Amino acid sequence: MRYAYIFLFCMLVLTIFVQPVFAQEKTLKEQRAERLHSLEDRFFAAQKEGKTIKGVLVEGNSFFNGTTDPQKKPYGKPYTDAELRTALRSAERNSKVFLLAQDGTLYYPTVKKGEADSESLGAYRFERVLTEAQKKTKTFTWATLVPMVGREIEVLGEVYPGYGGVKGLYIEAVGFEGEYIVGKN
Amino acid sequence: MASKKPVITLKSIFYTAVSLVWIFGLSAIGHIVMVLIEKYNPAIKYDFAWGCVIVGILTLYATRFMKSDSWQSFFGCLAGLSVWFAFEYSLMYGGHDLGVTYTWNGSYPEYRMIKWTYMLLLMVFLYLLFQESVRCNFIFYLRRKLRLMRGAIATGKIDNYGPRTFFEYIMVTWTFYVLLMIGYDEALFGAYSWFIYILFFASFSVFFYLTYKLLGYDRFGANLRYAIPTVTILWNDIEILAKWGMLKEPWVHINWPIMSVIIGGFVVSTWLIVKDLRSRKQDMIEIKDIH
Repeated sequence: MRYAYIFLFCMLVLTIFVQPVFAQEKTLKEQRAERLHSLEDRFFAAQKEGKTIKGVLVEGNSFFNGTTDPQKKPYGKPYTDAELRTALRSAERNSKVFLLAQDGTLYYPTVKKGEADSESLGAYRFERVLTEAQKKTKTFTWATLVPMVGREIEVLGEVYPGYGGVKGLYIEAVGFEGEYIVGKN
Repeated sequence: MASKKPVITLKSIFYTAVSLVWIFGLSAIGHIVMVLIEKYNPAIKYDFAWGCVIVGILTLYATRFMKSDSWQSFFGCLAGLSVWFAFEYSLMYGGHDLGVTYTWNGSYPEYRMIKWTYMLLLMVFLYLLFQESVRCNFIFYLRRKLRLMRGAIATGKIDNYGPRTFFEYIMVTWTFYVLLMIGYDEALFGAYSWFIYILFFASFSVFFYLTYKLLGYDRFGANLRYAIPTVTILWNDIEILAKWGMLKEPWVHINWPIMSVIIGGFVVSTWLIVKDLRSRKQDMIEIKDIH
């Protein structure tokens, strides 16, 4: 019986920490669903008005040192296969990732204006807006930048003036075709 | 291992099946708890991790008072899972703080960080390999083949299996995470490399071998302890299939119908284990009964 009490005590301690998750699960689930729904509405409304930003994600180091020229390649295919492999590898080693729009504007993904204390966006999970067809595939509802390097994405967010021609881009949500991790929904 | 050729009985099949379901359910539930927290309330995850480490240590301490090796193993396993939870969260925190990115083939920052503990893992493994009182079958096999034994094999009663099971759970999980992450590293091997294919087929084969060996145990203490590597090796295949996009893990994609079956299996197996251990206690003759 003593062991049962010890076990119950342990479960009690665990429950104290886990309890908020289960107690609020429905509310949090609803909150998240509402947030995603609102993002979807805003994303598709902005898309209709032409206010989303479309571009391909490029890896910063090889772009800025002029080793690769994604801006000179046909839009949507910024790298050769060999270049893409190295660009992806560099990006996962935390080389910065930029958004290169079709009109040649370069955007630096950043945090919301006013946030001075921030984190690397290389690990940040951006909310992903899904089309009705994508929803049926039960694909990821979020995406990070690194696996998307070399691909076209559409962004709902805020554009900041930036510096030296490179604009700042706060990404609120992203939309893109296909799978998040190619070959693995 | 009592004998080289396990004596398979209906009883041992029952104990093996229940142990495998329990350990598998434990791992699956552990995963889904992490996914739910990340999805609905990530703000609490580090508090949760501290809760887990406290519960893990308390549970481990509690095994010191348990007389039956089965209860010690049962709670040792739970303690191992709790502390492992905290370890993963600590890596998550470290990854976040250091700005570790996801890999392009989808590996999470915390698992990228686990890979770099391989040298630490090697150091612990070397200690276990040369420490002659360690009785792990695999280590013992290596020690025999590498001619590392200098004296007689350690024998005698083990007074508390709790810490051993706790350590076993952590070591086995840790080892296979490191192995998988080294395999997934595209700079070394890659998700579709020969290394991962070998790991996949070796894990599949070894799972059946270990299950066959497991059938030789007809009580929950040993069965639970040996079910840990058996299930974890099978888990390699699950992880690899998910990596190849051939399996959508129900605990990652929150597939409630499948998770309900797993949780149901876990509840029923827990009930069967607890019921069995309680009935064993009633039958047990204690020293006070003799005097």
